[in-house]
Amino acid sequence: MIGLTRRDLLKAGAAGGAVAAFGRPAFAQADNRPSITVAVQQVVNSNTLEPLREQSNVGYRIMPCFLEALIEQDLQRNLEDIPGLATEWKRIDERTVELVLRRGVKFHNGDEMTAEDVAFSFGPERMFGPAGGGGGDQKLFTGVVAGDTKDLPPEVIAVARRFWPSLDRVEIVDKYTVRFVNKRPDVTLEGRIGRLASQIISRRAFTEAKNWLEWARKPVGTGPYRIAEFRPDVSLTLVAFDDYWGGRPPIKQLRFVVVPEAASRINGLLSGQYDFACDIPPDQVDEVTKNPRFEVSGGLVTNHRLTCFDKNHPELRDPRVRRAFTHAIDRQLIVDSLWGGRTRVPKGLQWEFYGQMFHEDWAVPAYDPAEAKRLLREAGYKGGAIPYRLLNNYYPNQTATGQILTEMWRAVGLNVEIQMKENFSQVFDRGSPRGVRDWSNSALYNDPLASLVNQHGPKGQQQQIGEWTNAEMNTLSVELETSTDRAKRRAMFRRMLEICEREDPAYTVLHQTAIFTAKRKDIAWKAAPSFAMDFRAHNFKMNRG
Amino acid sequence: MLRYLSTRLVRALLTICFVVTFAFIILRLSGDPALLILSPDAPPEAIEAFRKSWGLDRPVWEQYFHYFAAIAEGNLGRSMRDGRPALELVLERVPATLALTIPALILKIGIGIPAGIYAALHRNKLADRLTMLFSVAGFTVPSFVLGLLLVLVFSVNLGWLPSGGQDSWVHGILPVITLGTAGAAVLARFTRSAMLEVLGQPYIRTASAKGLPWRRVIIDHALPNAAIPTVTIVGFMVGSLVAGAVVVESVFSWPGVGRLLVIAVANRDLAVVQTILLFVAATMVCANLTVDMLYGWIDPRLRTRRVAGAG
Repeated sequence: MIGLTRRDLLKAGAAGGAVAAFGRPAFAQADNRPSITVAVQQVVNSNTLEPLREQSNVGYRIMPCFLEALIEQDLQRNLEDIPGLATEWKRIDERTVELVLRRGVKFHNGDEMTAEDVAFSFGPERMFGPAGGGGGDQKLFTGVVAGDTKDLPPEVIAVARRFWPSLDRVEIVDKYTVRFVNKRPDVTLEGRIGRLASQIISRRAFTEAKNWLEWARKPVGTGPYRIAEFRPDVSLTLVAFDDYWGGRPPIKQLRFVVVPEAASRINGLLSGQYDFACDIPPDQVDEVTKNPRFEVSGGLVTNHRLTCFDKNHPELRDPRVRRAFTHAIDRQLIVDSLWGGRTRVPKGLQWEFYGQMFHEDWAVPAYDPAEAKRLLREAGYKGGAIPYRLLNNYYPNQTATGQILTEMWRAVGLNVEIQMKENFSQVFDRGSPRGVRDWSNSALYNDPLASLVNQHGPKGQQQQIGEWTNAEMNTLSVELETSTDRAKRRAMFRRMLEICEREDPAYTVLHQTAIFTAKRKDIAWKAAPSFAMDFRAHNFKMNRG
Repeated sequence: MLRYLSTRLVRALLTICFVVTFAFIILRLSGDPALLILSPDAPPEAIEAFRKSWGLDRPVWEQYFHYFAAIAEGNLGRSMRDGRPALELVLERVPATLALTIPALILKIGIGIPAGIYAALHRNKLADRLTMLFSVAGFTVPSFVLGLLLVLVFSVNLGWLPSGGQDSWVHGILPVITLGTAGAAVLARFTRSAMLEVLGQPYIRTASAKGLPWRRVIIDHALPNAAIPTVTIVGFMVGSLVAGAVVVESVFSWPGVGRLLVIAVANRDLAVVQTILLFVAATMVCANLTVDMLYGWIDPRLRTRRVAGAG
């Protein structure tokens, strides 16, 4: 029997009074959604959350949480184009794509997204800067930076112009319809509309921000979470945006905290301080999964690890020597020994999500030491030293891979000398002869323009730093950008692969990149086949036990 | 005294000029901030635009003189990565670092000095050997190893303390212990050596022989004379208060000056690195000056000698 004292009754009465006075009872207001902490190596590299400045893989991981594009990539499948802030789109002609906007989409400031915001997002104030200008004054570390004003930093303008080299205008057809009009034919318009840096922002929020830097630290988009607090190099706190068009977000507060050391991220996860720990080294996966309360999600992403050649080096001028390099590598051995088989050797610098442009029958050069030796003999290679500029694990397993590669090359007679470097500018330095170096290439949309042309074409890094060039490749790059004949484009891409990977090697693909995220087992969450993390309702569930 | 002080100040200024110049040359010649801040995958046009906008395309000597002139006017420059004034960025981080280094310093002094004295007074006994065993272990184990070990025990296995971050004072316990342990070990060894040296001096024998109680011999005669080397070490520790926790801050994800320094160096964010170095240099100089003053206070003979030398 329950004994009720006069004191209990008084307490109950007081509680009832409080409920009457302060409105709805507490249980009706309760938000049972969890707060989740994700330990990451770094939130962003550039200390801004504006994708036009933050071009790193780490930045790409968090952006979809608060910014969205008109066309999205399906993060739960194979990155196919799916409706995002646009529900449908169609080609008007070879230069024009028309998109119908999703209705009822709210920005984090409560405004409805309309065609005005879309046009503004691709306009001079946010992307391209004033016509012909935008260089800014020289400051020598001490002056006023563009971020202090509404002027765009020059690198932002340069990025926008690179991604949209011939965008003529974004036309507002009506409140919910826009047209992207290019100056020249472009079959990749849809891909560009869906890529990182094409997210739609609130015109009013951008205009109201005091200066560019303030905007870039707290951009206002339409994503499932809005930015509550950003502490550069420390943490990014997001909170659920309950007016999200895709349904109520499953997490009340999503916090990304910077934990630079992998061991500290793992320890924090195991001690219960973090719910997710990103960028787990492949050799630590088993260590985490030994504990029955945790598991590792993740795997292949749209990024390949490469070894690049500088064909200006006297020993590398003859393509047969570079071809010998490509045949001397047992890629599968590297995948099996250093990655525990958790990644794969891809079919050259391409990905399946290229769709029709993907060449299923293409392959990286076969591991064939005899062929490598034959090529070296034919080329008359006399064993001259070839420098290999190596960074200390900038990429996972980089140093170990570099040492294995060096031994494999040595086994066929290539005299490769490792030179440890601290950063990329030391790797690129022209002060002494360059030979071989590491790189990784991503594709941010589903066309070879996004990778092969972007990185190895005439405006790509490899040619810009003077490592490699090829006249036919350069002609094909220009044609690939403008051609709309899909069969012809496919054939051109094939030819480009032949040039860059076989005939006159610019690089050789080693393996696909895999990333691993350790997490609590009671959280149902699947890593995307890209760097982006998806914390929307369809991909996050707490299995309460 | 004034002359002595002004000499020290001029020397300090020269030291700071040297530090600024050295850091500038090393940083500018060993990496391109544009490539490091925007990432090597950024479009080449963006990297070029960044270089141009920050004047990195100008000759290094021109950059140097421009930067030095700005410093002379009190303008420490802006972070190329962050856009904000470097001084603002550094000052923002100083409290977090001091929140670790000051308690750690107290821990070092509170444990290291008594342990050293105790070991010296019990020379070659079990207590001495145990103290020195822990002391050797304390300063030979690298702080990142000790830090991870503590996390493994107190966070992962026992679940008593958080493994990293700066959300509350509890988050500071393990980093303070990690920082304090190595320092206490160093102090213990130095204090023990200094005490042993002093205890072997004739004036200690004289004091004992004339019938002073052993406690008074230690407090009045041994400790003040053994304090000089100990104060020197403590001075160094005070000098490294601002940026002396680089490794520990990284292991425990503690957002202090040390971590800022690591990030700024990695990105060749010149103004930030220079501002931190200026802070460190200034703290060191002040600490050294204070230690010099303390020498005179602890040992009047030094004061007399200094005045005589100056005159």
